[in-house]
Amino acid sequence: MKMSDGLDSAALHKRLAALEAQGEEARRTIDELKSRDALKTQFLSNISHDLRTPLAAIITHAEILREGMLGSLNPRQRESVSGIVNGGQQLIDMIDEILTYVRSASDQVALIRTEFSITEVVDQVKLLNESLSAKKRLTIERLNGDDVPPVYADRDKLKHVLGNLIGNAIKFTHDGGRIWIKFARRGRDGDELLVEIGDTGRGIARDHYDLVFREFAQVDSSPSRPHHGTGLGLAIARKLVELHSGRIWVESELGKGSRFFFTLPLNPPRD
Amino acid sequence: MIVEDSSLVTDAFAVLFGEAGYEVHSARTVADAIELGKRTQIDLILLDLTLPDGSGLDVLSALRQSGQLPRATLAMTGHTGGGVRETCLAAGCAEVLTKPVPIRELLRQIERLLG
Repeated sequence: MKMSDGLDSAALHKRLAALEAQGEEARRTIDELKSRDALKTQFLSNISHDLRTPLAAIITHAEILREGMLGSLNPRQRESVSGIVNGGQQLIDMIDEILTYVRSASDQVALIRTEFSITEVVDQVKLLNESLSAKKRLTIERLNGDDVPPVYADRDKLKHVLGNLIGNAIKFTHDGGRIWIKFARRGRDGDELLVEIGDTGRGIARDHYDLVFREFAQVDSSPSRPHHGTGLGLAIARKLVELHSGRIWVESELGKGSRFFFTLPLNPPRD
Repeated sequence: MIVEDSSLVTDAFAVLFGEAGYEVHSARTVADAIELGKRTQIDLILLDLTLPDGSGLDVLSALRQSGQLPRATLAMTGHTGGGVRETCLAAGCAEVLTKPVPIRELLRQIERLLG
């Protein structure tokens, strides 16, 4: 069958117009979704901030009681009030995680780079986690790194990443297990630093390698899950590593522990 | 003087500093804080950065202009990072504390600054 050129071009125009309309529709949908996402981010930010204030007041009142400033407490009373302080502090930490995520998601994060020793930061994070790891009789070792050159990066943000990875390792490793931190140089001129945080914990199935870095995702999201949290820790870690032009990933086997890796350029461009 | 817009927080601090033997005044806005700072001899300001009518640091610049700066100012913020600390130190704060400030640390800092 042969159609005349006129008909052909009319059909073509019609098809083109339909496609354009579809494109326009898709653009509108994307804009709508973007603005809803921005609204959600703003809501998260506001609610987190508003939750923080009364919580701070509760913690201060409980601390005043715990310190015996309003009269001395017996050991059981002190234990109970300490529970209020600790529970409140845990809530504050979760709210802060949400706020950090909101800021990194809305590109409000700027890197403040200085030159510093990353092994020193690792040792600091280790120290901060000492009481937690002692409770589970875990050993945390930095296996090497004394010869790692100083990095030019955002110290607070890398400390956050290391704190998250080491904190997770502690959380998901059985009593008496082992956690290690290891450094290696990579790249053509060894201009990339590879940091490994490994553990002998419960491990992650291959299907979940990507999921764990996704926001609000938890491998076990049931209400009865043994480990609670915001599900934002690794999503934040990924954002912060990527802000440094690095990469983050996991290699793991269920029941045999996990090894989290991230890279960091050693000679980033300087302003 | 405590400058903070939440009465929940100022009430908690009022109990704390009252017990620790300090005389406490509180203000909930930049305007109130400036007015109170000009009217009263203040030794130390505990300054929240986010206030309904502006930044807590505006209080400092106004009191500096009128020559009525306190002996020391401690800034308090919900969330550090993003250069907040540097800005506050440059504005004349002695230290920047993250809320909720552990009370032992807070009392220690205040004793150090006023001692």
